[in-house]
Amino acid sequence: MMNWKIGKLKRWNDGNSGKNYCIHLFPVFLLILLSFSSCNKTNKPEPFEPTPYEIEIPYGFPTQLNIPEDNPMTVGGVELGRTLFYDGRLNGRSHPDSMMSCATCHQQEHSFEIGTSRPHPFGITGNPTHHAMLPMINLVWNPGYFGWNGGVGTIEEDVLGVISDPTEFDSSPEKVLGTIKSIPGYKELFVNAFASKEITIDKIAKALAQFVRTLISANSKFDKYMRGEVQLSPEELRGFVLFTTEEGADCFHCHGGFGNPLFTTNKFYNNGKDSVFTDPYDRYFVTGDPMDKGAYKATTLRNIEFTGPYMHDGRFETLEEVIDFYSHDLINTPQIDPLMHHIANGGIQLTPNEKSNLIAFIKTLRDEEFLSNPNFSSPTEFP
Amino acid sequence: MGHNSCNILSSAILVFTLFILISSCDKSDPPSETEPGKIIFHFTHFNDGENLEYDTMKYTNAAGNNYLVNEIQYFISDVKLHNSDGGVKLIDEWNDIYYVDTDIESTQSWQVYDPIEPGNYEKISFTFGISEEKNQSLMFLNPPERDMFWPEFLGGGYHYMKLNGKWFAEDEVVKPFNFHLGIGQVYSGGVIEPDSITGFIQNYFEVELPASSFSISEGEIINFEIRMNVKNWFNNPHVYDHDEWGGDIMQKQDAMKLGCDNGQEEVFSIHELLLISPPGK
Repeated sequence: MMNWKIGKLKRWNDGNSGKNYCIHLFPVFLLILLSFSSCNKTNKPEPFEPTPYEIEIPYGFPTQLNIPEDNPMTVGGVELGRTLFYDGRLNGRSHPDSMMSCATCHQQEHSFEIGTSRPHPFGITGNPTHHAMLPMINLVWNPGYFGWNGGVGTIEEDVLGVISDPTEFDSSPEKVLGTIKSIPGYKELFVNAFASKEITIDKIAKALAQFVRTLISANSKFDKYMRGEVQLSPEELRGFVLFTTEEGADCFHCHGGFGNPLFTTNKFYNNGKDSVFTDPYDRYFVTGDPMDKGAYKATTLRNIEFTGPYMHDGRFETLEEVIDFYSHDLINTPQIDPLMHHIANGGIQLTPNEKSNLIAFIKTLRDEEFLSNPNFSSPTEFP
Repeated sequence: MGHNSCNILSSAILVFTLFILISSCDKSDPPSETEPGKIIFHFTHFNDGENLEYDTMKYTNAAGNNYLVNEIQYFISDVKLHNSDGGVKLIDEWNDIYYVDTDIESTQSWQVYDPIEPGNYEKISFTFGISEEKNQSLMFLNPPERDMFWPEFLGGGYHYMKLNGKWFAEDEVVKPFNFHLGIGQVYSGGVIEPDSITGFIQNYFEVELPASSFSISEGEIINFEIRMNVKNWFNNPHVYDHDEWGGDIMQKQDAMKLGCDNGQEEVFSIHELLLISPPGK
């Protein structure tokens, strides 16, 4: 249609009275131009647009992703984030003994936490973190309550906190930015990610967040069972029944199941660990509601066998200890969550055989593909 | 001749261009001749005549249990307006299951999308929970509705309601109760094990809101309050005793039956709120 109009105008200009035509047609031409400039921008040369990164929703998973509007996923952004995630210079230090990246503690083989080798992880200064680590897994579905107490609203915000936290990077945005800017090869990665050579601390945080949002686990044995591809063993099935029945272990109200394959509600519960609440960084710290004292997030149970120690303070080394706790050692307080209805008996009172079945089921949430996915691993080359 | 034809041509192009501008940039529909009515439902939660207070052990049911309420989450569905000539209008048929959560304010107000034809209506009814036909597993993939899922072994689909609280038990211990309603199970031999399940019982029920006749005129916006009187889940016609049923009832059909019977009697009521709502809100 546009070519047709231009063609007509050209032909008219070829005539004897071309000047008059031009005078009469000028406002019309202007209007046509306006109509296209207001509704159609195709006339202008298109600027470089990073390739969008599409997240495929696995079967049964939520369709709503928590991706901030100001940080859309791009292929280049994810790749930049992955490179930064594993780059030891990210903490703004250059001495070989003091380099630290996200991957120093968030290790893929432990579902992107540190495992039992360091119950309380510590950063560059050796000071322990307030809480045990949480794995980085399926965080693109976290509704905006990150950390054990949900006090962090976005992954981007978390990254910025890590940089300055004396128990983690103990660095500063200026030092980190200065270091990354000084590495020439990063400019191209930032262009691919954000269509701009400009490197800022916000973009560093955004790229890291984009990479973390790709860390999706959805191919465990249980996922395959949900999709009808495999059957669970009799022991695993008995464990699944215990997991999802109130008269059994009743794990599902907080930890999900067939209807919630994230295996967490991402909500906060006082699960009966203590009679006195001394940790200043529980859910109460965030909400100010006295009923939230001693409450912490119900963690995802995906790959849980690789993410010990357990609970916010890492008090349990093994899954067996955790099951024993829920079975016999719950403590009733005014803050106990009502969903802990077995509290009056001290717990769910599982027999040894039932405990074994329950653990067998929980281990169907092991996703080895996630633990070895090369897209989540360290790049072979750094800028 | 050439000049005139130019004028005609330029006028035609001008008109055509204006048409393109208007048709491409302005998609608004022409105003309708008659303006229908609108309904907004507000869900509130009471204990008898008082607004419900949460996490306070201040209530007593007919069984003499002192109790507190921590949170309530539930579905109502198939809300119907029954008009005076026997016709029934199903509200928002394309989105006919509505979730209410006492912890999420946005769920406590439902602005019905459907226009309401002006006229007289005899009553309003709804299904408490979700009908068997519609209560399908994995139909809600996103929170908060997702977290209402009812385990497959126990019948699948979704809880009709979670009413969580605590009561002061006869052994003088404060214990949690999960008054959860949903699909019941039939167990053979009285053995409460999933292996013993021989059938399922659909416990959803219809609520006909008492004194719910109303008239709506052109362009009128009516704010209705649908009020849940929590106490009556435990009082009438059956006395529900937490000491008898304990903290969990998802696998106790007899307890859920009492709750569902009570739910049909004096739990829900409707009140017209005298709010001034600007048009379009």
